[in-house]
Parts: sequence; structure tokens; C-alpha cells
Amino acid sequence: MLFASLLFNLPAQADSGQTFTVNGFGTLGAVRTDTDHVEFVRDLSQARGATDEWTAKTDSVLGLQANWRITPQWQVVAQGVSRYRYDRSFRPEVAWAFVKYEPTPNLSLRAGRLGTEFFMLADSRWVGYSFLTVRPPGDYFWYLPFYSIHGADAALTLPAGEGVVRGKLFYGLSRGDIPLSDELWNIKGSPMLGGYLEYQSGPWQVRGSYANIRFEHDLPLAPVLLKEYGIVFSQADARFLETRNTRTHYYSFGVVYDKGPLQAQLMLNHIDQGTRALEDSDAGYLLLGYRLGEWTPYLGYSRVRSKKQAPPASPIAARIVADSHSDQKTVFAGVRWDLARNVALKAQWDGIRGDSSSLFPYRQDDLNRWDGRMDVFSMSLDFVF
Amino acid sequence: MIRRFLKLLMLCLGCLGSGAVMAELVVVVNARSGVAAMTRNEVINVFFGRNRQFFNGLEAMPVDLEDSHPKRLQFYKTLVGKDLSEINAYWSRQIFTGRMQAPPRLESTEEVLKWVAARPGGIGFVELSRADARVRVVYELKP
Repeated sequence: MLFASLLFNLPAQADSGQTFTVNGFGTLGAVRTDTDHVEFVRDLSQARGATDEWTAKTDSVLGLQANWRITPQWQVVAQGVSRYRYDRSFRPEVAWAFVKYEPTPNLSLRAGRLGTEFFMLADSRWVGYSFLTVRPPGDYFWYLPFYSIHGADAALTLPAGEGVVRGKLFYGLSRGDIPLSDELWNIKGSPMLGGYLEYQSGPWQVRGSYANIRFEHDLPLAPVLLKEYGIVFSQADARFLETRNTRTHYYSFGVVYDKGPLQAQLMLNHIDQGTRALEDSDAGYLLLGYRLGEWTPYLGYSRVRSKKQAPPASPIAARIVADSHSDQKTVFAGVRWDLARNVALKAQWDGIRGDSSSLFPYRQDDLNRWDGRMDVFSMSLDFVF
Repeated sequence: MIRRFLKLLMLCLGCLGSGAVMAELVVVVNARSGVAAMTRNEVINVFFGRNRQFFNGLEAMPVDLEDSHPKRLQFYKTLVGKDLSEINAYWSRQIFTGRMQAPPRLESTEEVLKWVAARPGGIGFVELSRADARVRVVYELKP
């Protein structure tokens, strides 16, 4: 790794010349909870999660990125990432690979495999070094197993007084699978469309964003029901719980204030599900951090609550819909220690206080014993190179 | 206790004397850029890659110093009150989302001056005493 960075991190020789750089990021994380009634995951893309024994699976990641600037206007970027994913492996994958064209300094056009900024900070969720907490607040990001699209985006920046206005639009076909019990929900090929508008001035950044996805495939409910309960999925239930050709809408609003030693973030989102199988939800978080030399203690609060849509057609449908219910609050507190250049050590406690019906964020629910309360202890070593 | 008091006293004297310890930093642009002065927020916008153009449409090409150069810490401390770890965290977010690359980092003030002088949109920061005819001072960083 060191060798690679020595070899490739050559500074730009001349503006007109080509440059090739390789950078990397990583996290060595350890997390445990105080219960084995449910498994705690970072987001719904993970098949299994943490219980009351320490695990490094949930938060550990290694990423490597190559940037090839061909001309001042044209650039090729590729990023490979290894993290615990839907198929229970750390198999490395190409997170993004795209061509970027910048006809003017403030217009950027990209095409290829792209990260999606569904919500603010969503496309840097795995770069632990870039943020304060061990992981992005769960109540806000659990719902977001979407990482990349095959498509294109365009971003335009315009000066506005002392600040800048930035807008971005993206469109593409989603990639990947979302684990559901022992099965996988295929979201490959589902068209995704979205964009945001933001204003940034001095320490302030305000952003509103919208995105939608139209699912191409149904949830794999039939095999799950058969395997777990020995129930044959009825046609009426299948129709009621259809996800194929339904469209889910994501709205979010975020404010960041970042001045001197103080960092504050407020984010709100609303998800309007097209399918009756999943509940609509509202979520938000507030995070405050204050740097004291190399140490930055932080404190946060997050909340998520979902609502039923139509009354389910049958007890089985009701049971499925109930699985997507969430209703919980989390207080989290921790400290980031910037112990060396490009290396940070973090420790964090999350106190999740929810209803026992709050099941959506977890894996392997033991319904009879889960009471909605959980304490999560995390440590991470984040680095970039 | 006494040692702490002495340290504090020395710090205060440092503030008063300023000069030698904390040479004033200035932001310089290419003398032919057509830019005469910038506000603090405009400087922030350019060095953080938020806006990559000057008011006249010329592409801004910021240049930075190596982490180990003491003036880098002074620059960001004075401009936005941030430690280098926070600046590097900011850039790691920009780089790994594929949004943009950080400005090149040079080893010395002389290299910065050469960079700025060689590019119409060049912009960097140097000690006030080092700014010469090749560049124009557009912003003075007051602590």
C-alpha cells in the first residue's frame, strides 16, 4: 500500500500533462451490542449484523481509487471497495468507474458507474475518515442500501453573492441486491432519478434533495414464507404486496453549520413507498461536535418512525408489512481522536430506545424477546492514504 | 503551575510581537489575472473547490503546501479555524466521492510563487514579505 502510494502519488507535473494518482481509505471497526435478540447492521445491504459479541464485519472497509486525468477537461475515475455485503462476503467490487467531462470549471458531466447522493453525505458513507461519527447515523441511513447506478449525472455550480448555488441531476439503473431473510431482493435494473439543490456560504450549507426509484422486481416473499413458515404465498397477498413497477420517493433536507471547532448537522427525510409491502417513514438526526485540539467529542440524536399505508389484506400480509415497521430514537455520543496525520480513532455509544415493533432496521429478529432497546458500543480506526 | 504561567506569558508576548513567530500570510494571484481583491468567503470558495472561477470567469487554479509546511496549518487556522486533520477529512470526502481532486501541494513558498506566476488563474498563499512583482496580493489573512 505504502509502495503504491509512493509510486503513484506523483504531483501534477504540468497542467496540460496527464496525471495518474492512486488514493485509498479504510476502516478497521469493532462493534458489539448488549443483546442477541436482533442483529445490528450498518444498513440494509448487510445480511447479518452484530450481537453481544464483538465483530469487525459491520464497519470494516478498504477502498482504493485511481484517478487518471487525461486532459484538464477529461478524467477517468475508478474505485474498488471491499466491505461486508449482501452475500455475506467481503468480495471486492468496483464501487464506481466513470468518465468525467468538465467543459467549464463549474460544470461537471459524468457517465458510467456512479455513486448516488440520495441524501446528503450518502456517497461518502464508507469513508469513515471524512466524518465525525463511527458510522452515519443509523436511523437516517439504514433505509438506504442503494449505492450506485449505471447512468449519468450533471452538476452545475453558480456563484451567488458570497456563496455558491450547486445543482445536480442524476439518472441511471440501480445495481445490487438487498438481503431479505435468506433470500435476495434484486434491485438491478431499477431506474433511479434524482437531484438536489444546495446553497453554500461561509460556514453554512443547506440542501434539499429528491430521488425516486421504480422497482423492477418483487420482494422474494414466496420463498421466504415457504422456507421460514411453511406457508404458500397466496395470489391475493402477492398482489397486495407487489413491489414490481412501484415507485418509491425520497425527500430530504439538510443543514450543515461548520465553523472553527464547531460542527453541526441537521438532516430530515421522508420516504414515500410505492409498494404496500413497506411502510412510509420519516427520519431525522441532529449531530453536534466540538473540537478540542486533537479530540472531538460529539453528541447526537436520531429518530425514525414509519406508518402503515393500506390495511393489510390478510394476517400473512400484515405480518410482512409489520416487518418493515420502525419506531425508535437513538442518542449517540462519542469522541474522535486525530492521533496522527490521516489517521483517526473513534469510540462511540449508541443508545437505541424503540418500540418492540421496530424491526425493519435489524436482522434475525427474535420477536418474542426483542424489546426495542439496545446499546451499541463501537470503535473504529479510520485512515486515508 | 509556574511553567504554565510562563507558557501563557510567552503566548501573549507572541501575540503582541507577532512578526517573527507568525508572519502574516497573504493570498496571491497571478499579476495578469485581472483580480484585484477578494473577500474571505471568495477565498474560502476557491481553496475548498466550491467555486472554481474568479468573478471574471477565469478558471481558478489553487495551489496548496505540503502538510509538513508550518504555513499550511497557519493558513487554514486563520482562514476557517480548522486543523489540518479536518481539512484532510474534507478533501478525502471530495476525492472518494469522485467529485474533485485536492489542489496540488508544493514544498515551498518559492514553488508556490512560481506556480502562481506561471498560470493566469494561479492562486496561492505566501508570507506577506515574500509577495513580489510576479504576483498580486488579493487578500490579507488577519488572525
